[in-house]
Amino acid sequence: MAEYQVEHVMGMAVAIDVRDEIPSGAVEQAVAWFRHVDRVFSPYRSDSEISRIARRTSTRQMTSPVVQEVLAQCDRLRALTGGFFDTHATGRLDPSGFVKGWAVERAVELLERAGATRLAVNAGGDAVVRGGVPWRVGIQHPIEREQLAAVIEVRDAAIATSGAYERGLHIINPYNKRPAEGLLSVTVLGPDLGFADAYATAAFAMGRAAPQWLATVEGYEAMAILQDERVVCTPGFLAACPGGSPAASLCS
Amino acid sequence: MRKTLATLLVTVVAVIALVSYRTHLPQRKRAPAQIHAPSIQRRHPAGTRAGTGVAISTPFTTIQVRAFILRGRLIDVQEVDVENDNAHTKALNDRAIPILHEEALRAGSAHVHLVSGATGTSTSYISSLQSAIDRAHG
Repeated sequence: MAEYQVEHVMGMAVAIDVRDEIPSGAVEQAVAWFRHVDRVFSPYRSDSEISRIARRTSTRQMTSPVVQEVLAQCDRLRALTGGFFDTHATGRLDPSGFVKGWAVERAVELLERAGATRLAVNAGGDAVVRGGVPWRVGIQHPIEREQLAAVIEVRDAAIATSGAYERGLHIINPYNKRPAEGLLSVTVLGPDLGFADAYATAAFAMGRAAPQWLATVEGYEAMAILQDERVVCTPGFLAACPGGSPAASLCS
Repeated sequence: MRKTLATLLVTVVAVIALVSYRTHLPQRKRAPAQIHAPSIQRRHPAGTRAGTGVAISTPFTTIQVRAFILRGRLIDVQEVDVENDNAHTKALNDRAIPILHEEALRAGSAHVHLVSGATGTSTSYISSLQSAIDRAHG
């Protein structure tokens, strides 16, 4: 039967929404996968492989192939973002900005192998959707906690939003090591959540320079909400907004 | 007025930058140099006010523009102190307005299946997400 489940894992709420009949246990497998990822990648667990590398009690070469793969992708993303996506931005190895999205993509593969064709996995506000009638994805309003800033309708897409609205969470500009300023939030839409998430984090760190950089990112669309509450979108993002613009999408 | 001007300038900088960027990928070979009149020589009617926007740096370039305002309306934009060639910039300026999409932030609720951007560390988020999903299912 269709399943909807919210789990608290990796320090956030992960919502798994499957609209098809899939074998019982498939969702539990996905949840177990997230718990496994947390054990391996969490910078907050002293026994994780990431913490061991950070403490230099282990090296990248000594770690499991999956950790090496993830760190290699992080290196690639660092180059693709002009250094603004940086796993060492806070001074300590933390690949969470990529790992979360990467883990969701693997969980979606797992659910698809179990027969799911219409599903959404939302990990702390970064989501992958697949199939069916378009999924209506609300973009959190950066100031009004209970409101939306836009709605997009998408099939087979990854959506990541970075913002400063959750107290205590700051995105650090790796170049000056200070909390990034200039934007209220950045949403990136595209084929892969690991990349979308990393691009959103990097763009947020860039601050006011983010819009023009986002316009160059191949295969990904974006919406940036600037400090003065103006909203800038790429053409492809507008196309995903019912009504043709973020404001219009709120009335749809 | 100054605030309006400042807002306009920021807008213009963002627009020009956004547009410039699409065609200024760093890997791309530069087009052969073209002969052109520097855009700074364009003349404006008496009473035009000019203002230079802040320089915007990206990982690959720096962009700065000068805006010309006549009776509260933006009438011209010129790029200053830019690393790229001006003929190209001029062409981009001409295209800037149609490509731009910008609007003020609005708050609204709509029926959605899920929400992107709430980091989900709080229980209020979980319950709000839950209710959104429930509503969608219902």
